[in-house]
Amino acid sequence: MAEERMTKMSLAEKLGYRKGDFTKFLKYIADDPKKAAHDFVYGKEHGERRLGDLYIQPTGLYRHREWRGIKDTFYYFNKIWCYNYGMMVADILSSEQPLTFFKGLWRYRWLGQTYIPVLHWFDRGLEGLRGPALRGSAWHYRGMVHATIEQFMRMFARDLRFHDGKETDLWKKTVIHNETVSGSIFYPFWDNGLVDIPLEMIPYFVTCHVNSNTVLHYIDAIQALGLPSDPCPMCQAESGVGIMDDYPDSAPCFVTSNEACDASVATSVIQDWFLNRPLFPMPQPMRYDDPLVQKRCQEEIEECWKFVEEQTGVPFSWDSFKKYAELQNEQLYFEREKWEVAANTSSYPINGVAQALYRIYYSQYGWNSTWKLLDSRVRKIMEDCVANNINTFPKTRHRVIAWSCAPLYYSNWCTWAYNCWGLNTIMNMDSLMFNKEIRTDTYEHALEDLSWYNELAPMRTMAVGGHEHVFQLWEYMEKFNCDMVMMYDQLQCKGMQGIHGMFEDEFRRRGVHAIWFPHALPDKRTVSRHEIRDCISNYMIDVMHEEPLDPSLLDFDDDLTW
Amino acid sequence: MKLIFKILKIFCIVYSVLFAVFYFDLDGKLLYYVYEPLMCKHYDNIEGRRNIIDVPYDMEEKY
Repeated sequence: MAEERMTKMSLAEKLGYRKGDFTKFLKYIADDPKKAAHDFVYGKEHGERRLGDLYIQPTGLYRHREWRGIKDTFYYFNKIWCYNYGMMVADILSSEQPLTFFKGLWRYRWLGQTYIPVLHWFDRGLEGLRGPALRGSAWHYRGMVHATIEQFMRMFARDLRFHDGKETDLWKKTVIHNETVSGSIFYPFWDNGLVDIPLEMIPYFVTCHVNSNTVLHYIDAIQALGLPSDPCPMCQAESGVGIMDDYPDSAPCFVTSNEACDASVATSVIQDWFLNRPLFPMPQPMRYDDPLVQKRCQEEIEECWKFVEEQTGVPFSWDSFKKYAELQNEQLYFEREKWEVAANTSSYPINGVAQALYRIYYSQYGWNSTWKLLDSRVRKIMEDCVANNINTFPKTRHRVIAWSCAPLYYSNWCTWAYNCWGLNTIMNMDSLMFNKEIRTDTYEHALEDLSWYNELAPMRTMAVGGHEHVFQLWEYMEKFNCDMVMMYDQLQCKGMQGIHGMFEDEFRRRGVHAIWFPHALPDKRTVSRHEIRDCISNYMIDVMHEEPLDPSLLDFDDDLTW
Repeated sequence: MKLIFKILKIFCIVYSVLFAVFYFDLDGKLLYYVYEPLMCKHYDNIEGRRNIIDVPYDMEEKY
């Protein structure tokens, strides 16, 4: 239907022309010039913005980007749009082999289709934001872009395809690993020159957020071989990238995992097939807090270290581990400070999507000097908000906690929900994982804590880690002063579906307003963004009897957007 | 002095053009309507990929 709509659009309409817009604009100025001048300088009030009118349906492109008042529009233009385009170029130029970027762009669909329109990802996540919330959230996005470029440029600098199959020194001192094996496992080798690269994080995971069209190609590829469509689409897509031969060949060995749940074991088999090189499986127990599994997990980490030493020749260093574990701890302490501010004040300057993605990204990827730099900037903004008691999301009607696994193709739903309904997502389930500091006083303590840290990975922690963790929702609702739950219903996650009914019972018993919305993780064709918005809007209208803050956001078609 | 004004003038023109690109989302429109379809066509036609199905799955112990 969306495709049909596109074919009927004229070129002018595709570029954003709409009959009567200019006349309407002139009338708006003529009717009340004083108000028009005020809106020009300060931006329109939340209820008057009509953000939905900015979209060219169904592409999700903007007729024009939002005018946020002089100060915030030029902040966005200078410090976000220009700055990030410039820094993207700088990140590439400062990498090990800048020219391999062009080879990668030409060879890999996931790079060329996804990461060039990255500024639109910023636009979608930061829509409607003003002042410190705009600034704080944008710094989180910048951190993710930097780390993404760092990773794919490292892949290309080592990729055998780009070096005539020659096993370079860089290639020899690299380990690739499953994206849910924590980067912190490899800290003992970092100061001795080892680089670890999460295999799927950039070709699969981040692409879904930035351009939701890219992943569909890979899902279709694996299904074309006969895989039924009902397994977890994350495993499908990750296998599809392999089937299409689209993983860079950037390391001599591979550390794999069962990811969050055992659904991904088959992905590892396929990866073993196409990588065809020494592989160390490091599965994590789903019932991870059983004391009987801890010793085994610690032994596996030690075996993994031995494997890395043997395969790459890079020696283990306790000092290196200690250094990066302590830096990681510092970052965790700041994260906890942020949670305190989010829980107890209305001055938290990060929106739901920036909070969720940044947290999952940095805690999974491991420590990076960029995190420290950007956190210091965010700290300054946050402390200023707290000191001056600035209400960063003034139209908040409900404080929301989002639970279970989020839709990757619509991670910015919370930006829409705030703009349309005043639903302010304070915390996400996946942001609460990895909440474990690593003691560095002795080797035994460090190993014990590192093992725990790695077990507290995305999805595993509270989605498949047993009902006592899944039901930590109530504890966190209270802690973060939330009055509403956004309950993700990942249609192909057999783990969480098993506990759906128990949640319904608990919501009723406790009198909690919870909105269930279905999704299919990376695959927007199963449940569209439009359907997700309908689930939320229907609840807000029929159950809460509330009026939208911005009615233009109630019904619009963005099926073909990135 | 003349040179400074000239540089300022060029800066103002470049800045205004960039702002127009930003404000009217011209970067997004170019990437969406022109760049992405062309690149997808290219990726669909890449030759020389390994066909993984043809690669035998070696079950020997590698480690």
